[in-house]
Amino acid sequence: MAVIDFIINSILTQASITIALIAFAGLLLQRKPFGEVMSGSFKTMLGFLVLSAGSSIIVGSLLYFGDIFSEGFGMEGIVPSIEAINGQAMNDLGLANQIALTFLAIFIFNILLARLTRWKYIFLTGQALLWMATMTTVFGSAAGFSGIGLILAGGLVGGIFAVAMPAIAQPIVKKITGTDDIALGHFCTIGYMFAAGIAKITGKNSDSTENIKFPKGLGFLSDTYLSVAIVMVPLYVVTSIFAGAEFGTELSGDVNYIVYAFLQAVQFVVGVYVLLSGVRLLLAEIVPAFRGIALKVVPDAKPALDCPVLFPYAPNAVTAGFITTTIGTVIAMFVLPWFGLAMILPGMLTNFFAGGTAGIFMNAVGGKRGVLIGGIAHGFFITLLPALLVPHFNSLGFVNTTATDVDTVTAGLLFEWLIHPIMNLFA
Amino acid sequence: MPFFKRKKKENDAKSEMQQEVKKEHLSEQIEEYLSKLENAEREDEIPILNMLGSLYFEMEDYDHAITYYEKSIDQNKALGKAFTDLVKLYNIKRKEASKAGDRETVQVYLQKSDDLMKLTKDTIRGNM
Repeated sequence: MAVIDFIINSILTQASITIALIAFAGLLLQRKPFGEVMSGSFKTMLGFLVLSAGSSIIVGSLLYFGDIFSEGFGMEGIVPSIEAINGQAMNDLGLANQIALTFLAIFIFNILLARLTRWKYIFLTGQALLWMATMTTVFGSAAGFSGIGLILAGGLVGGIFAVAMPAIAQPIVKKITGTDDIALGHFCTIGYMFAAGIAKITGKNSDSTENIKFPKGLGFLSDTYLSVAIVMVPLYVVTSIFAGAEFGTELSGDVNYIVYAFLQAVQFVVGVYVLLSGVRLLLAEIVPAFRGIALKVVPDAKPALDCPVLFPYAPNAVTAGFITTTIGTVIAMFVLPWFGLAMILPGMLTNFFAGGTAGIFMNAVGGKRGVLIGGIAHGFFITLLPALLVPHFNSLGFVNTTATDVDTVTAGLLFEWLIHPIMNLFA
Repeated sequence: MPFFKRKKKENDAKSEMQQEVKKEHLSEQIEEYLSKLENAEREDEIPILNMLGSLYFEMEDYDHAITYYEKSIDQNKALGKAFTDLVKLYNIKRKEASKAGDRETVQVYLQKSDDLMKLTKDTIRGNM
């Protein structure tokens, strides 16, 4: 009895160990050699602990930012970062085990739905699935699910998104690629379809973006970490100046308060870097295992691949979509607070990948004019949806941050607006 | 009904013949480009490699198509037909392996697709 108690209370409550055990089981199921099973399980545990370390760095930096923003502007400034949401949910809310199991449940529901329905899509972008698992677990838990029910509800909703989103995008993907063999697996699809709709209406007979000559030298903006720094550094520094030397020094101690703000901004970037390294380690063992099994069970499946799969078809549209989406997010940052919503700061990482891919969608249906108008609308849209989630995140204890990737945000809103009230009826 | 059957058979025979003629023509073109490749300077090789990739793809010789497209991308990472055709080719090979139950090869082509995605991201960054 004492041994069982020890296993349940001291080992299985440690998320890093449980996640390693999940990887262990997955690798055993694939009949991998014992050495690979052990190294895979250990790397998974290491990945989780690295992720936790990154999350702590991000939270520390965000707490500081929240303080100076409130002092400087008398309101909340929210940093959109799905990485930060994932880190806080795993670390601080104690949902790591549930997220890992929901992640596996989404895999399984995806395979089942692809096998049984005519939506033959297997979602192969592991990171996006982890973000989806995070959101369905956080909001499923807030809606009142727990235990196996939470994992099944999150897995089912996530699994439906995993087949439905590629299916919704497929008509335009087919138009872009000229083939029906591959699909898009990126959880920003609702935004792409919204942007394409606007572009179709506004961009009739407009010329393609591929005839534009873009100046070289914007590349540095699309570098993953540099682009985050480009937004965060000025934001922290300017905010600290508004908060004033007296308040700033209270937090910075002996260090100059502006230099301290600069270093805190860089700390945020470091946090994202560390967290994403952890995620890569964590997924490196689990995702290949799933993909092999999924594509064996559904051999005629269409693989839904990450968004860069579309980049070669319209590289100029990627740049144009990135720029116009960024303009839209900046406009939304100032406009949304008028309507009583939080001020959401532009997330350059999302702007690049989601904006760039939306650019390809918009160009396919509305050319240059479509990308210009649709892109601004897209930027507004992908800021508005996360803003709607902010009060819910606040009540759940998340620090100065909100989710990105509109499909995962939509899954959160689905739980909050639809499933939660239904659960309340039966409670 | 037999009449229709005969017609179908005739049509099949016709299309088979057309296929053969097409394949012969493609083989001739491939020979021509292979000899061009032998005599080409390194900087002129890329369009020839892409053409060979494309011709082999049309011939449904996927392994050779992949070889030439990969050589082309190795030399010049410009986004274009080599990238888009390679995604399709990797998917075809993955599907074949999947049907044959060859899990190892499935992983090989999934990994190749991943690497191509990464290369696409990097190329876009370099091009902007």
